[in-house]
Amino acid sequence: MPAPRVLIFGVLFVGIVVFGFWLGETADDQVGGDRIVIEYWEKWTGPERQAMADLVDEFNASQDRVYVKFLSVSSITRKLMLATAGGNPPDVAGIWAADLPVFSTNGALTPLNPYAERAGIEAGDYLPSVWAQLVVYDRLWALPTTPSANALHWNKRLFREAGLDPDKPPRTIAELEAYNDRITRFNDKGDIVVLGHLPTEPGWWNANWSFWFGGDVWNGEDAVTATGEANMAALDWIASYPERYGVGPLLGFRQLSGVFASPENPFFRGRVAMALQGPWMYNFIQNFAPEDFEWGVAPFPSLKAENYGTSLVECDCLVIPRGAKHPEEAFAFIAWLQEPAQMERLCLAQLKFSPLAQVSENFYARHPNPHIRVYRELAESPLARFRPQMLTFNEFSADMGSAIDDIMRGAESPEQAAEILQERQQGLFRRKYDNWQKVREERMKEWDQQ
Amino acid sequence: MTRHEKRNLRVGLIFISPWLAGFILMSLYPLISSAYYSLTDYSVLSKPVYTGLDNYRALMSDELFWQSLWNTFYFAALSIPINLVAAILLAVLLNVDLPGKKIFRTVYFLPSLVPMVCLGVLWQWMLNGQMGLINQMLSPLCDVINAVLGTSVNPPNWLADPAYAKLGLVLASMWGVGNAVVIFLAGLQDVPRSLYEAAEIDGCGFWRKTIHVTLPIISPVIYFNGIMGLIGSFQVFAVPYVMTNGGEGPGRSLLFAATYVFNKGFQAWSMGYACAVALILFVIILVLTLLATYVAERHIYYAGK
Amino acid sequence: MSSKTAQLLQRFCLYVLLLVGAVVFILPFAWMLSTSLKPLNETMTVPPRWLPSHIQWDNYPRAIEEMKMFWRYTGNTVYLCAMTVIGTVLSSALAAYGFSRIEWRGRDKVFVLVLATMMIPFPVVMVPLYTLFRELGWIGSFKPLWVPSFMAGAFNVFLLRQFFLTLPKELSEAAKIDGASEWQIFCQVVLPLAKPALIVVALFQFMATWNDFLGPLIYLTDQSDFTLALGLQAYQSREGGTDWHYLMAASTLVVIPVVVLFFFTQRYFVEGIATTGGKG
Repeated sequence: MPAPRVLIFGVLFVGIVVFGFWLGETADDQVGGDRIVIEYWEKWTGPERQAMADLVDEFNASQDRVYVKFLSVSSITRKLMLATAGGNPPDVAGIWAADLPVFSTNGALTPLNPYAERAGIEAGDYLPSVWAQLVVYDRLWALPTTPSANALHWNKRLFREAGLDPDKPPRTIAELEAYNDRITRFNDKGDIVVLGHLPTEPGWWNANWSFWFGGDVWNGEDAVTATGEANMAALDWIASYPERYGVGPLLGFRQLSGVFASPENPFFRGRVAMALQGPWMYNFIQNFAPEDFEWGVAPFPSLKAENYGTSLVECDCLVIPRGAKHPEEAFAFIAWLQEPAQMERLCLAQLKFSPLAQVSENFYARHPNPHIRVYRELAESPLARFRPQMLTFNEFSADMGSAIDDIMRGAESPEQAAEILQERQQGLFRRKYDNWQKVREERMKEWDQQ
Repeated sequence: MTRHEKRNLRVGLIFISPWLAGFILMSLYPLISSAYYSLTDYSVLSKPVYTGLDNYRALMSDELFWQSLWNTFYFAALSIPINLVAAILLAVLLNVDLPGKKIFRTVYFLPSLVPMVCLGVLWQWMLNGQMGLINQMLSPLCDVINAVLGTSVNPPNWLADPAYAKLGLVLASMWGVGNAVVIFLAGLQDVPRSLYEAAEIDGCGFWRKTIHVTLPIISPVIYFNGIMGLIGSFQVFAVPYVMTNGGEGPGRSLLFAATYVFNKGFQAWSMGYACAVALILFVIILVLTLLATYVAERHIYYAGK
Repeated sequence: MSSKTAQLLQRFCLYVLLLVGAVVFILPFAWMLSTSLKPLNETMTVPPRWLPSHIQWDNYPRAIEEMKMFWRYTGNTVYLCAMTVIGTVLSSALAAYGFSRIEWRGRDKVFVLVLATMMIPFPVVMVPLYTLFRELGWIGSFKPLWVPSFMAGAFNVFLLRQFFLTLPKELSEAAKIDGASEWQIFCQVVLPLAKPALIVVALFQFMATWNDFLGPLIYLTDQSDFTLALGLQAYQSREGGTDWHYLMAASTLVVIPVVVLFFFTQRYFVEGIATTGGKG
């Protein structure tokens, strides 16, 4: 009978598997002693990460109940969703406010209203444009870390060389394009040497150009409006680039702008004179631009003069995933970060402006970026906008990027591109929206019980 | 059943039990539950909500799905024959007794060992329109063409141009042809010498021998490689994912079937929809394999038969 | 021209052809190596430079540093490779034995199922598998990546079965007459003879695990659990653009172990691939 030996082998086989289970369990380093350890995932790297790491150390030293374990995580939105679904999420995670609609709809987050109420944190403490993006379905899902607002950044030397007043940035799209034509230069081979402005440089807000054309890409509730007046005007504007400067030269030009955080960045190298960018530029210019780089910051031009001062406000924020093991302690840490002293230190170290309504007197004096007030004023303005809280905004955004790419390559007219986009995205959004309506009531009840 | 047969059945089943467990858990269960999820609206965290054939209905008019299928087939139709021809050609050349044969074999084989992610990173760099090595080599060629014909051809912006992106990927996949070369080399060892000698007596040259003797004999190997290539093209994911930094390529030219399942399931969190896509892919593969087997049975030479 | 010189000429042409091809195949490696030793500004020139002006070895330690937990990733990958290799070799050998050396009713019909499962690409089953592992609470651990290898993958079973079939039946029968059990035959007769084939399966599995990207991408959540392939991709796709010199240095580091392994096991590799050549 072979049975006993088979048994031995079977035991060995199972033994290895068990051994694997035991070995594979990453032994949690016993930091923090007998304190409650909360895990905090953050997307930042480099100096931005360091700024938060210093604050985490300070928090850990400031009390002896909670210990925050700070981890840097790439592709954080996917990782967080996977971990939350897998039932093993961190206690705190730093994501972008733009992700809140998807995360909250999927039930991946803990509503923070009760916590905030107990801690006395309320809307009035923050910039309205920041607070508004933290609230989805009338519930608070996150508290802010560092916000930003985007603005026109321009290279004064290139303005001067083109005979333009370096201290007078364009205020309307028409002006922008007039400047653009003055600045843009070609070489003998027909390659672009200097470009005044290019919407896809860097093109990080491709889905939101309609803001500066006085509109949005959805109606705020149940319909995508990619073929609406504002977005069409934006797409027509983008289509004017390949028409004026040629598809080939633009394509060649774009291939050369690979690395953002390096001296090869086309803006620092003086290859592009104007760009839609954010407050982080100060840091990159310090590190990578030539010594004599002269630059200015102003609101990005808009189609109509009355919309001058529009910007897209974004915000990094902290959430407590659903199923987090220590939500109370997690919130204690988040609330500690919201105190003006900590918040301003973080914003100073990350070279951002503060998301809090009240700013201490010497904040701007201590801020290295001379233009920081411009961004803050943009975020304070009633014209400040934020990413649509549309359930399928990520898909919309990717699709829009693709449409703009087609337009830039001259493969499609703006009308064609917008119509295809509208039909596809409306269908996609409608399906998600309808399915959400089916479970909405039930979900809301769940949240209120939490 | 005799006692002996019973015993054999029992022992046999014990031996194959690891596979059986894998079959049930890793193949059967996923396929069945895929079928169920495909009828629901299912995002990772919430319970699946039954929606009937909704996903399939949406799928029929989902251009991106069709585009991902088209891209997959386009890539398969381009890369499988090219790679087969290149592999057979190289195998035939490497089969000739030449000094340094072994070194050559190693050189041609090595790239197929490069991990996919490295391959993607490396070829993203090789194919860079401005700073890449490929265009560095092509541009003198273009200069010659331009000088002779008076045209103004420029090397393409591989990964930025939808017309060339897939071609770039084919180039990268050709670099890894070594695997197939070794398989064909082994197949070539099975060709009886006597057949070559007979062909030589009939006055056949090198190429005619290859076409009339070698190819028919290694046809089962060609079939096997073709099928594996087909299934492989439904798994193309890592290289385009890395090359496009997780995107879909210009004009969605690098959106493949596997990428689409991933995007729908793990990016948009529409897992029910992703399952519907996956099931349709499975049916397509099934039909194609059966078709290929049917065709192969009529045209393949098997030594035993 | 005599036929001998003609033949010589033909061989010479062939040689040149192979040589040119070899250079083309080597070039990407050379380019990777050359880029990995350049200073940053030399990676960004148009047209590109073939060779660095001076060799910057420093890129390697810097790349390791930039990738953060490079050694941790290496450890994770090695751990996964070890587990999957053990699992695959053990389970596939068992299953292959059951499919080749024991006659039982319905065996060949079941074997068709083995062949059929070879046709299921991972993307087709990844969503339900993710759900399954999620129910088990395995997301974020290594388990989804190695436990399945203990369940005999179809391809390896197929490969080993082909090999086991070539071993003469008489061997088993002689052992049986000596009173050996099926199990003893498996351990003492078949496995020792099958060593080359087992090494091949082990090598393939090692390569597959070292290579795997999609699996780790959906199952691993904690950055410190990443494999090298995933870590490399995370480094490549991080925000703020690409440092090609570091990226190439990191890629080189990921490729080198595989190449070294190849040189030590060359014989088995080639043999192994040869036997998988669909002679079934």
